[in-house]
Formats: sequence, C-alpha cells, structure tokens
Amino acid sequence: MTDAGAIEPPAQPEKKEWGRWFGRPGKSLTRRLIWLASAWILVALLVTGVVLTSVFQESALRRLGNMLGDTIDEAVVAASITPEGEIFVGEIRDARTERLLSGKYWMVAEQGPGGQLQVVARSASLGRADLEYAPDLDDRLRSAFGQTISYNAEDGPKGEPLRIAASMKQLPGRTAPVVFFAGVDRSDIDADTRQFATVTWVAMLLLGAGLVSAVFIQVRVGLRPLFDLRDEISDVRKGSSHRIEGVYPVEIQPLAEQVNRLLTHNQETVERQRTHVGNLAHALKTPLAVMLAEAGTAHGVLPDMVRKQTKVMQDQVDHHLRRARAAARAAHGLGETTPVCEVLDELAVMLERVFETKGVEIDWRAPDELAFLGERQDLQEIFGNLIENAAKWCKRRVRISAGASLPGQMVVVVEDDGPGLPADQRDAALKRGTRMDEDTPGTGLGLSIVEDLTRAYGGRVTLADSEMGGLKVLLELPAAEG
Amino acid sequence: MRVLLVEDDVDLSRQLKAALSDAGYAVDHAPDGEEAWFLGDTEPYDVVVLDLGLPKIDGVSVLERWRREGKTTPVLILTARGAWSDKVAGFDAGADDYLTKPFHTEELLARLRALLRRSAGHAAATLTCGGLRLDPRAARATVNGEPLRLTSLEYRLLHYMMMHQGRVISRTELVEHLYDQDFDRDSNTIEVFVGRLRKKIGSDRIETVRGLGYRLSPLAGESDAA
Repeated sequence: MTDAGAIEPPAQPEKKEWGRWFGRPGKSLTRRLIWLASAWILVALLVTGVVLTSVFQESALRRLGNMLGDTIDEAVVAASITPEGEIFVGEIRDARTERLLSGKYWMVAEQGPGGQLQVVARSASLGRADLEYAPDLDDRLRSAFGQTISYNAEDGPKGEPLRIAASMKQLPGRTAPVVFFAGVDRSDIDADTRQFATVTWVAMLLLGAGLVSAVFIQVRVGLRPLFDLRDEISDVRKGSSHRIEGVYPVEIQPLAEQVNRLLTHNQETVERQRTHVGNLAHALKTPLAVMLAEAGTAHGVLPDMVRKQTKVMQDQVDHHLRRARAAARAAHGLGETTPVCEVLDELAVMLERVFETKGVEIDWRAPDELAFLGERQDLQEIFGNLIENAAKWCKRRVRISAGASLPGQMVVVVEDDGPGLPADQRDAALKRGTRMDEDTPGTGLGLSIVEDLTRAYGGRVTLADSEMGGLKVLLELPAAEG
Repeated sequence: MRVLLVEDDVDLSRQLKAALSDAGYAVDHAPDGEEAWFLGDTEPYDVVVLDLGLPKIDGVSVLERWRREGKTTPVLILTARGAWSDKVAGFDAGADDYLTKPFHTEELLARLRALLRRSAGHAAATLTCGGLRLDPRAARATVNGEPLRLTSLEYRLLHYMMMHQGRVISRTELVEHLYDQDFDRDSNTIEVFVGRLRKKIGSDRIETVRGLGYRLSPLAGESDAA
C-alpha cells in the first residue's frame, strides 16, 4: 500500500505561561491590568505602613512627654530660693530620681550673666553629669515661655538614649528665667516602636502578596471570556469550527456576533461571486455550443475557423472563470474543512460509471480522519479534474493515495497505468490552455485548473513518472489539524 | 429508440434535435423543467439528455423526481458551469453520464450509444442476501431498494461475497479475487475495503471471523427472498 508516509508532527513545547503574564506590559491587556493594580497596591501599602509607624511612635513619645511634664511641675513646686540667693529644689516623690543612674533625671539651670545656661541643681540620679541641651534650645524655650518642649538626646549619663523635656519658668524673686529639665531613658519606647514597625511591615508585605494574587486571579477569571473568544476565533481560522458558538458576557457578546456576521458575509460574498461566475459561464458556453454544433463536421474555411476559434474562446473562458473562482476562494481565507474520503468516494463511483465502457478501476486510499482545509467545491474541482484525466489516459487502473505529511499539510498522489507524459511536456501541461488531449473536447484544461486552485490554497503540484507506467501527480494541500 | 431532449436554448435544441434525428432517434423536446418532468413521467423513453440549467424547475430537481418515482431511464446531463460540484450533484440525483458545454455533437452521440448499450439486458438473474440485491449484468447493487454507490473494487468484493454468502472467506482468497494482477496484495487492503463496504451496506451484514476471514449473511429477521 502506498500510503503517503504519515509522519507524526513533532511535539510542540508548551508556551511559557509565566512570560505571558509578567513580560513587558505594553502589548498585553492582562499584564497592563496586573501591573497597574500592583503599582497601586504597593503605593497604598507603603503609605499605610509609614503612617501607622509614625502615629505609634508619636503617641508613645507624647506619653513620655506628659510624664516628664509632671516631673517638671513637681520640681517647680519643690523649688525655692535659699536665703543665700541660691535655688534649692526640695524633695521630689519619685524615688528613681534619688538613685544614681536610675534612668530618670531632672536638672535646673539658670541663665548666667553671659547668657549661658548654668546648672544650679540636679537630681541625685544624675551624679555629676548634665542633661544634654538641644540645639537652638534657648530660642525654642523663649518662644514657648512657660510651656514644655521635648527633644531626644542620644547620650545620657550611662550612655542610654533619653527623652528630655524642658520648660522656662520665672521664679518669684529672680530676674533671670530659670530652665527646668526632666529626662527619662527611652530605650523601651524605641524597642516598642521598632517591634511595631517590624510587625506592621511584615503584615503589609503579606497583605500586598495577597492582594496581588487576588488581582492576578481576578484578571485571569475576568478576562477568561476574552481568551475563550480568542481560542474560538483561532478554531475558525484553523477550520475546526465554522462559527463562534460560545455565550459571552454582554460586553463582548456583540463582538462575537460581529465576527459571526463577518464570517457569514464572507461566505455569502464567495457564494455570490461563484454563482455570478457560474452564470457567466452558462451564458457564454451555450452560444459556444451552438456555434460548434452549427459548424458540425463540415469542411471548409469557415467551419474550420469556427471550430478552432470556438475552442480558443472556450479555453479562455474556462481559464478566466477558474482564476476568478480561485481568487474568490483565496480572499475567503477562513477555513471550512472537507473530509477527503467522502470526496474521493463520490468521484470514484461517479467516474467509474462514466468510464464504465472502458472498465476503469479507481483504487483510492485515505485515512478516515483526513480533512482538507478548504471548501468542498474546490476539492471536488481539484480531484475531479485529476481523476478524470487519469481515467481518460489509463489503460484500466487509477490509484489515489492521500495522507497527512507535515502538521497542517497532506500529500495526495494520483497515478495511472497509461502512457504517461514525457518530462519535457510536463511544464506545458500545467500551463494555461495547453491541450494534451486535442481529440477529447471540453476537458483539456484539467491540469492547469488544478494548478491554479492548488496555488490559491498555498499548495503545490508536481508531475512525475508512476511505477504503474503512467503519469504521477503529486499534490501538496493544506489539511485540517487534529 | 426514443430520446427526450431537455434544453432551453432554442438554437442548441434545434441543432441537437436535428443531429439526433439524423442518428435515427425519435426525439421529443422539452424547453423547461416542468414539461420535461411531465414527459419523462408519462412517456417510455430509452434515454434522456438533460440540461441542468432550466427554467421553472432545474435539471437536478427533475432528475430527483424521476428517480424517486422509480424511473430507471439512463440520463445524460449537460452542464455549462463545468463545476465538479454540479456534476457530483447530478450523479447524486441519479445521472449516468455528463457532458460539459460546449461539446462536439459526435461526442454526445457516442455517449448516448454507450448508455444504451449499458442499460440493455436488464432484469438478469440477480443475487440477493436479505435486503441486499446485486445485478451482475448491470453491475448495480441496492440495499432495501436504495441504490448503492460502490466503486468497482467495492462492487467486486461484494459480488464475490454474495456468491459465497454464509461461508467464511479468507483474506487471501478475497485479495486474489479483488485484484486481477499482482499489485497491492497486502493484508491491510481487505480490511480497508471491508470497512468501506460495511459503511455502505450496514456494518452487521459482514461478520469478522477471528483468524479465518469474513462471512456475509442476511441480517437477523431478514428473509432471503426480500
């Protein structure tokens, strides 16, 4: 059996899904949506994180400040002027101020004659050390006279970070303003703030990841109808389906309907063109038949010329009509599929009947599932002409085998046991208007029609010698995949 | 010999009528589908020349009506479009031959002679197997009265199996009777043809006997005389 070597299509690697989702956002709707949403989520979470952390820190510091304000108030109340004119601060209830380096301190300073602050009293906890001054302290105190200002200091008496509050007061009987300081170790607050920030950022990160994946899923699910539509259109293109069948959301249902309308319109245009062309053929050929019959078998200059010119006209009409049909077909583009077996069977039965007197035997082989990616009429035209030619020229046997070759392609071989065609006449046989069978009217254009149609489908016709003795025609045609 | 010529073109009709008369036929002419159908239905013609493009009722419809009513007169169709889909449609409707316009009158006469030769000597001894009926003289087969469209190889296979119905026939025996020459004798061939035949005559009529071959028998419930 001469099955035209069915070759398995090479397994195609799966397209990389991830590249599709996360590549450059420019050309993909999915990517654009995912990237936009992700950017928005990122900004929103960053702002939230920053705001939350600073609010937490602020409120912790405010609590410390209030506590320090209380200490200052106590110190102000406990302060008195000794008879010697010195400032004396009496007992403050907070025991921590009495214990050396306890982490809680107070201090009183007075502006000296040079405008410099001089420490006049300090808590026992400070030992001999002083609390740090903030830069611009003097100006700030003066502009907020009587109020408490707070600032951070990094170097306390034992090297700990401090929160310090200061307030400028006027003591009765003193002309120069007196500044009261209170300080407290703030390492606990710092640690709390850091811990809060860590927890917040981890939470934001998780939330961000959650939101981005939710967006991803949403986009994929949301856009699925679009992908489905794309797949359906690609099916139509490949010929495995005729129309868009799916039901789509209201936003894209009109699109699907338009595609269907376009397909129908396309189909109708081709049909109209074909009918038109057929009508023209009918209109021209009957008069030709009349002329041919009128010339009859008579001899003489006129009948001979009529016969000859009628033949030329017939060839021209045939050729241009086929060309028009092939062009209509090529413009159609979107594919129908035609089962090869059905067409071969009907033509074999029909042509054996036509050539019954000669006893022609047409032996065809094709896999059941093999389908031509194109219209039935065109396949009938291609096969009909080839098989008719073979049947006309064979002694008795015509053999046809069809099979898939490359993916999307099939090879059909039509051969016979007739006299064959010499190599130097093969090119001419495929060209327009060349009659290999001058004695059999009406059928001389078979091979050139086959060539025209095959080309319109992007296929190829090759002529060779058959091992059966006659001509072997090799056809490459588009096949439906799957 | 009576011939019905169905053609709407006045000039062509006149010429063909003259040519057919000269060749010794008794010619009736119908210029449109309606008249053609009426004449074909009422008069016993030996052969019909039928143009496909007709006013009132088109040629294929006329032919279908005749065949539905059981007329077996051989019909040659004339087509101007020359498209194979038209020819195939004509054959599906029951045509026996086609000719594409324009044609030589002698060609038409030769085709008609061949058609008449073929249709002569019907009613020969037919082979039956349940609802299957095969006429070896005309090389035609029917299943339950419906004509079967078989290629010559399928016909030959069915013929052989009907001559030996009820018996198991080996693949080798079948392949020897299928091909008169030595090519294509591989074991796959018979399976392909049996498969196609089953599709056309009904898959239960041919039974596969594992390791031995095939057996054709009437369906259960069908009498041999059907």
